[in-house]
Amino acid sequence: MTKQLGFFVDSERCIGCFTCAMACKNQYHQEKGVVWRKVYPLKEEIYPHKERAFYSLACNHCENPTCLNVCPVKAYYKREKDGLVVHEQEKCIGCGNCIRSCPYGAPQYNPVLKKAEKCSFCHQRIDDGRLPICVLSCPVDAIQMIDLAEVDTTGMVRFAPGFPKQPSLNPSVRFRLPKLPVVVRREDL
Amino acid sequence: MNTYETPLILFTVLSQLSIGLVAMSTLRQIAGPDIEPNKLRMEWLVAGGVLLAGMIASIFHLGHPGGMVQAITNLGSAWLSREALGTGVFLALLVAGVIIMREKTSLGLIVVTALVGLLVIFSMGMTYSPPSFPAMNNVLPFVFFFITAMLLGASVGVLFSSDTTLPMVSRILTVSLIVGLVVYLIVPCIWLSGGEIMRQTGEQWLASPLYWGRIVIGLALPLAIIWTLKKTPGWLWVIILVGELLGRAVFFANTVHTATNMGGIY
Amino acid sequence: MTQWKKNEIEKAMDCPMTRRRFMKWLTAAGVATAMPCSFLRSQAASAAGIVYEGGYETFRNACPRNCYDSCGIVTYVKDGVAQFVEGAPESTFTNGGLCVKGHSYIRQQYSPDRIKYPMIQQGRGSGNWKRISWEEAMTRISEKLIEINEKDGSMLGLALTKYSGNFGITNYGVEGMFSSLGYTTRMVGTPCWPAGIDAQNYDMGNMWCNDPEDMVNARYIILWGVNPAWCSVHTMKYIYEAKKRGAKVLCIDPVLTQTAAKADEYWQTKTSEDGALALGMARHILDKGLVDQDWVANNSVGFNEFADYLRKEVTVEWAAEKSGVPADRITQVAEEFATNNPATIWIGYGMQRHVNGGASVRAIDALVAMTGNVGKVGGGARYGHLMTWGFNYHAMIQQTPKGAKGYLGPAAKGEFDFTKKADGPSYSNRTFNINKTARELLNATDPPVRALWVSCKNPLSQDFDRNKLVEAFKKMEMVVVVDQFFNQTVEQADIVLPVTTLFEEWTVNVGYWHYWLSINEQSVKPLHEAKSNIEIAAALSKKMNELKPGSCTFPTDTDTKEWMSKEFNKGIYDLFGLNSWEDLKKGMHKAKTNLLPWADGKFGTPSGKYEFKSDLCSKHGFNALPRYVEGRKPYDKLRLLTPHTKFGLHSQFINLDWMEDFNPQPYVYMNPGTARSRNIAEGDMVIVKNKTGKVTIAASLTDNVPMDAVLMYEAWFKNNDYNCQNLVDDTSADMGGYKAGAPGVAIHSQFADVVKA
Repeated sequence: MTKQLGFFVDSERCIGCFTCAMACKNQYHQEKGVVWRKVYPLKEEIYPHKERAFYSLACNHCENPTCLNVCPVKAYYKREKDGLVVHEQEKCIGCGNCIRSCPYGAPQYNPVLKKAEKCSFCHQRIDDGRLPICVLSCPVDAIQMIDLAEVDTTGMVRFAPGFPKQPSLNPSVRFRLPKLPVVVRREDL
Repeated sequence: MNTYETPLILFTVLSQLSIGLVAMSTLRQIAGPDIEPNKLRMEWLVAGGVLLAGMIASIFHLGHPGGMVQAITNLGSAWLSREALGTGVFLALLVAGVIIMREKTSLGLIVVTALVGLLVIFSMGMTYSPPSFPAMNNVLPFVFFFITAMLLGASVGVLFSSDTTLPMVSRILTVSLIVGLVVYLIVPCIWLSGGEIMRQTGEQWLASPLYWGRIVIGLALPLAIIWTLKKTPGWLWVIILVGELLGRAVFFANTVHTATNMGGIY
Repeated sequence: MTQWKKNEIEKAMDCPMTRRRFMKWLTAAGVATAMPCSFLRSQAASAAGIVYEGGYETFRNACPRNCYDSCGIVTYVKDGVAQFVEGAPESTFTNGGLCVKGHSYIRQQYSPDRIKYPMIQQGRGSGNWKRISWEEAMTRISEKLIEINEKDGSMLGLALTKYSGNFGITNYGVEGMFSSLGYTTRMVGTPCWPAGIDAQNYDMGNMWCNDPEDMVNARYIILWGVNPAWCSVHTMKYIYEAKKRGAKVLCIDPVLTQTAAKADEYWQTKTSEDGALALGMARHILDKGLVDQDWVANNSVGFNEFADYLRKEVTVEWAAEKSGVPADRITQVAEEFATNNPATIWIGYGMQRHVNGGASVRAIDALVAMTGNVGKVGGGARYGHLMTWGFNYHAMIQQTPKGAKGYLGPAAKGEFDFTKKADGPSYSNRTFNINKTARELLNATDPPVRALWVSCKNPLSQDFDRNKLVEAFKKMEMVVVVDQFFNQTVEQADIVLPVTTLFEEWTVNVGYWHYWLSINEQSVKPLHEAKSNIEIAAALSKKMNELKPGSCTFPTDTDTKEWMSKEFNKGIYDLFGLNSWEDLKKGMHKAKTNLLPWADGKFGTPSGKYEFKSDLCSKHGFNALPRYVEGRKPYDKLRLLTPHTKFGLHSQFINLDWMEDFNPQPYVYMNPGTARSRNIAEGDMVIVKNKTGKVTIAASLTDNVPMDAVLMYEAWFKNNDYNCQNLVDDTSADMGGYKAGAPGVAIHSQFADVVKA
């Protein structure tokens, strides 16, 4: 398998602190409302304590990306050396097709530029020998950069509950699911 | 994710009207004897004008309309590129037809144009069925678009039919109305027993006044009129068009995207 | 940066030449860039945002917002503009990342809402702000101060309220400025942690916690009324590592917090009954013979009296009844705690914000001590420390002007005041309890408080009994606020002075939890007309002396860099292994010693031992033993909790538009059962009210909150008058007057009811 960079979303370690989400805003200064990395709380149907478990998700740099496939002007390309899916904003004509088509909502509309944009996996930083800013900034190493060609995926979940299952896209993201504490509630209530 | 997408509503409905109109003209020409070339030419001119209007509307959807020509770059994998190219080719064929068929109709050209139009509807269907909309990630968009083409093509087509071919076109319209009624009433109900996003889509459609508006105005009422008058009035296309526009608005605004439920059971 | 991360970068970079160098080579060679190599594609920065481009100047900054983590920051600057920040990589504590607040600093720096120049408000609360020059601002203020002196014969009519908005050491120049004007009125004390400080001082003779990084060695960790998953995110990794090595983590809290979800076990406990719970565990440990007799015999006094008290007045069943925690859990965990060494308890500040807070801390300290966990790596009753704060306080220590008259009587000292009282006249400042600011300002006489200076604090967002504080402000003849945004205090000011951010001044920072030191370099020029607190003091001094020579001793020439360097002394250099403060430009440094408190058994108490029985504590009006003290009797139907949110630090950050993307509005969190009985559905607007005031807010239903409580986070939202302090009165906590200047405030000993709006 050729090198494919991706994210390991360790929801067991994740404390939903939003550091990764804000670190990304800090690196790219996106417009208000345009958020490349979102921290989704797991709904109570999946994790019973409200807003106490999260998936931090941005772009999944899929093996077979919908955005790249549906873009009429070929504004997306997939890097051969590491599988990152990059959007070239100069080519974008703002048709919105990638925004509609990505099941994960990764591409978003920039209302000022009137073009799409999405998580770039910080490829400029990668090329300069640095980690993506979200990975670097996480205080508990809950979001990690992995190479799917090399990483030992034992125990890693491919399609976690709450994450749309799209095997034909093959998103480059793996999960660890969050555990539950033993909860001892008050006897007087 | 849910916006009314007015440019896309207009583009899809108008282009499907155009293609449907051409399809009707083809079927009439094959069944024959149909109207004179002059009148056929007029019909195609109308089809061309409507298509052009739709295409202009679609340009307003782009963040950068100047880039619209580049939209055919990704024929290799993007149905949107294929749809764009197909629409362009279809328009070219219409123009060719209007120019060429002054004295005489060319059945070959007519059939090819209709087939290209059918391919365009197929491309549109594929374009609007990405995996992000579970309710639409299937053949339904094509079916919806095909029904639109038949409804509008036939209801406008009665204005261009000869006495001989009018019954056929009327029959096509009536059948399309019945099929449309069945499809649009049943499909949202089927969605209700699908996955979470599909179910939410069904609920939103069934709760939308626009959805019921289209069922009543665009499908039930025309059927009632045809049944009562025992013929297809030439103005029926107006209320059918209103119905189609309402229905297309629901298609864009009330079809739920998977990204709206991240963190919930999919 | 961890070794793991280094390896990953090397693997990611499979090309030996960086893109930047290659591009430079190509340009030099005049080669067109239209080549089919993927990394030569143009990376034009979008007009609206930025991308990483390399070639930045980097500076070191330090977050002065006074949370546990006190991060070191690396600031990337291009063309004189700060572009983005990262966490200090060399500090094992900061470890390359900040938090959601720290990473929004660039937006705070360049926010369009930032106050640009001095302004005067024509009518407090009117919003009629007019720009004035610094010259005019200083003139107006000076004239007022001179008038005060003439009227009262002293400067006691000028009051300062300041606290944790900016803990860069040079900001003590504000206190220095006040001293240099004469004897003034100071709000002293702290809303934050004073009860616990005193408790630890009574027990051990100082508040001095283990190095938090040694928590990886703990075999048992109790997180008691503390929520590090929100308030000390950088410590979580040590807790996780301890867990990985086999430690058990128990979280005790009235609310199922984020930390509770990450613990092995969570106890939902009745608010303010923590003392009973700790004593119940102690009783069981005593009964089972699990006390560390050796340690107790060699290192403590008063244990026998404590044991007697436990046998006479404490049972596990009693503790279970008081706290709501089942008796069998209490006994099981007590045994586990006593037999898994080293065991440690992290005592949170929220836990002691009660009328019996200090007493509860003493009980928990006792639990750690009697099991022999004090003075051990990985052990300890962790609360905080001030061991790295031995600066010169050059900025703070200024001479009063000749002939200045002041208050005849004792003045209290805050917990961060390390100055020694100078020899000289028996005048002093008049000190008021900062936790009762509203009442003190209203009632002050002889002389009354005429002018109020607010710096590094936002009293109308943060202080208690808010309605009364609004009244108190009305009494002021002049209110000067030094700040960055038009927040709720600035709204009621006469004059606002724009102050510098951390990027715009030189200072130095340490923390009260970890043992790292960080320089704060000036990374960019101050925006607009912002001045640092030191420069403001200098400007005021200049104008004062112009109008009335000798009225202010504060130096008129200032350079924040020079003042920062003057804070360093041999003590600091030795502690951190520095040759000069310039060493800090390369990165944060960690203290070499003082990391393991009480290992030598030499406590700072009168007896030199751990005092289960503290006569000093008794002398100060409390119990000598860590006896159980009742919490506050409810004055309304539901307990009201107003803790801290992860999205802001008090009234900072939440107002930024970047933060609004993640945290757009406030909620009151209530149990679905509580809501149902009041006909309240998810998202409904409700009114939370009590005898002090009311708040209208949307409801979020969750059983993270118990049925007998409601919870709101303290925060300032832009263009929103939400303020939970409307509901909090200024009832004191028990302790705090000994070491922190004034008793604390029982922020969580509050009650309210909720109705649908």
